[in-house]
Amino acid sequence: MIEAKQYDFDAIVVGSGISGGWAAKELTEKGLKVLVLERGKPLEAGSGYLGEHAPSWKLPFQGKLPRQLYQEEYPVQSKVVFAFSEANRQFWNNDKQNPYAMDEGKPFLWARADVVGGRSLIWGRQTYRWSEQDFKANATDGHGIPWPVGYEDIAPWYSYVEKFVGINGKKEGLPQLPDSEFQKPMPWFALEETIHARLQEKAPDVTLTNGRCAILTEDLPGRKACHYCGPCERGCSTGSYFSSQSSTLPAARATGNLTLRANAVVERLEYDSATGKIARVHVIDTITNERLAFSAKIFFLCASTVGSTQILMNSASESFPYGLANRSGVLGRYMMDHTLGLCGVGIFLDNMDSYYHGNRPTGLYIPRFRNVGGQDEDADFVRGYGYQTATLRMDWQSGFNAKGFGATLKDSLRKPGPWIFALAGFTECLPRESNRMYLSKDKVDRFGIPQVVFDFEWSENEVNLRRDATKHADRLLKAAGAVFILGGDNKMSLPGEGIHEMGTARMGADPRESVLNAHNQAHDVPNLFITDGSFMTSASCVNPSLTYMAFTARACDYAVKQIAQGVL
Amino acid sequence: MNRREFLQCAAILVSGVGASQLGFSLSEEQKVFLANAPDFNTGAVDYFSAAQREIVAALAETIIPRTDTPGAIDARVPVFLELMVAHWLNDGEKAIFNAGLQDIESRIPLEYGKPFHQLGAREQLQILEALEDAAADSPWYDFGNVQREYISDAPFICQLKELTIWGFFTSKEGGSQVLRYDPMPMFFDGNIPLAPDDSSWTAFNVM
Repeated sequence: MIEAKQYDFDAIVVGSGISGGWAAKELTEKGLKVLVLERGKPLEAGSGYLGEHAPSWKLPFQGKLPRQLYQEEYPVQSKVVFAFSEANRQFWNNDKQNPYAMDEGKPFLWARADVVGGRSLIWGRQTYRWSEQDFKANATDGHGIPWPVGYEDIAPWYSYVEKFVGINGKKEGLPQLPDSEFQKPMPWFALEETIHARLQEKAPDVTLTNGRCAILTEDLPGRKACHYCGPCERGCSTGSYFSSQSSTLPAARATGNLTLRANAVVERLEYDSATGKIARVHVIDTITNERLAFSAKIFFLCASTVGSTQILMNSASESFPYGLANRSGVLGRYMMDHTLGLCGVGIFLDNMDSYYHGNRPTGLYIPRFRNVGGQDEDADFVRGYGYQTATLRMDWQSGFNAKGFGATLKDSLRKPGPWIFALAGFTECLPRESNRMYLSKDKVDRFGIPQVVFDFEWSENEVNLRRDATKHADRLLKAAGAVFILGGDNKMSLPGEGIHEMGTARMGADPRESVLNAHNQAHDVPNLFITDGSFMTSASCVNPSLTYMAFTARACDYAVKQIAQGVL
Repeated sequence: MNRREFLQCAAILVSGVGASQLGFSLSEEQKVFLANAPDFNTGAVDYFSAAQREIVAALAETIIPRTDTPGAIDARVPVFLELMVAHWLNDGEKAIFNAGLQDIESRIPLEYGKPFHQLGAREQLQILEALEDAAADSPWYDFGNVQREYISDAPFICQLKELTIWGFFTSKEGGSQVLRYDPMPMFFDGNIPLAPDDSSWTAFNVM
């Protein structure tokens, strides 16, 4: 009873996105009373998806984007995100209302959601396991510090989260991309079968497989298999793609142990030097500006890499003058993102009499084939990259600038054109001390919280990876039989554009050079866990969300066992 | 869940919107469940003069005429054009569009003895072809120059064509009677036959 009075909650989770949703689910299911704090607006699954299934004729300007509004209020979100439109604008951060200190000379694009569910509503849904080689990369080539965790430690947790998430894909047995627990894969376009056969013959060093994605092809409890309407990013009222709104938050709610507070910006965590732990979280209600504080036994930061790091930096105290849990001095540093972008677009005249039914919400994937198992002799880079592919049939949108008028023009525009098969490279980024975020000394937001500043540049390794990805894309598109190739231009994406920012509170065995231990627990503050992208010690080249989920579930298991043992 | 069941679910969701806490801090224009909203091209607008409205309708119909399927006027493209010029084009684009329209309004009666909208289809086509010939060097016509927002300094004829084609194929008539529309496909099959006269699916995401 004394225990119960001592704390407002057993656990407080900051953030309700991919990681926060998992923390909420795991901790509530293990019997903890959990408060989830979300800075964004409330949003109801289903009825909050205002643009879902709206045809173009219902959209403002029939889908043409309101340029002036976006320039004035969403200059970052509208630039960084392919999926930003009037059909889902309510999910996104208003950059004018919630700015960060943009250095125009060194731009970093920070994509942010602003609703319950966070970026899990608008993510790309690609889900890939890391390999043994990924976890050993830093130790092998000496960049960054070694991971304190190996593939064998995390593999059971991958399986655990995959069964709940629902991932469709095809088993390939590749060492560089371990198979997940798969639902049945989505079917292919005829052109993709054609390309697959040609690549097997002419480019046997690569594997063309299904994009592994968190979209159901088989029903799960409370969620339906995909109905192939197409634009997932508008929200999915059948819960066919994984989001915390469709999956983890309902599970947490079902336990009766969840309290969720939206419109709640976390200002700072209060460290108690007497106990050596965090005592309270200080919150500002974004509507009333009321200041509140909540206490708990343990705290999970899942506010996204930049958000969580900002909170730690703003929680400096006498005990931690350089930011909470930052005795090592690495907080905010070793930031990574993936470079991404089209490496080649092929036009194909094969399978012209074949068409499709339904909008498949994923492409195919070509897993890493460079430096696999060891360093390739001709590679002027370490690590590797993978390609996400897109298969499209040209329509009026690719030919509206044709010459001509009248019935002939109308008739040619209404019919399908040639096929397009495009390769987009996602390349690994090395952890470097100089790539960092920090708090502005003079700019604050509307709550008086210092704004975030970024200082991030690609290194030669990323540039060389990107060049190699473009070169091999050309080779693969030729082998695939493209009649015309629009080549990639080696252009680097802007930092942040990958929306895979990570690494600012990395984990490691040595407290002198890392913020977190192997269980996502702060070396310096035992009741603090960070399980969003900030914990990442290296970046791999695959999309990271699945790894955040697995580590979150594992950290929750560890934390609750520590509580049971009386350690926490 | 089959398609009918799905649509019933969607209807329940829509009817529940008014009673929920939805839109607590959303802006006014975001409080609408878009699939339930009126078609964009039924909106009120009063930008062109009555004479210009007749010309714009004839221009749009010359670009996308009614055939055995609806044309630009059937698809309310003239209203779309007026809405876009009034509310979407920036000042520079508006100036180009207005100058081009005024040119047709004043020049055509002098050259042809009648306003544009009273001319026969062949003469209307000739006039547009002449404008296109004069603009032929514009980068607007470059192959593949479609993956972009809008070319602000494109000549009038290019702006007119782009907005007309856009307004037509994203309209209900263009999108569902000329193109094929299936909002709830329920399954994916990547290999079904395409006959020579089949239309594309309507785009679910326009750029």
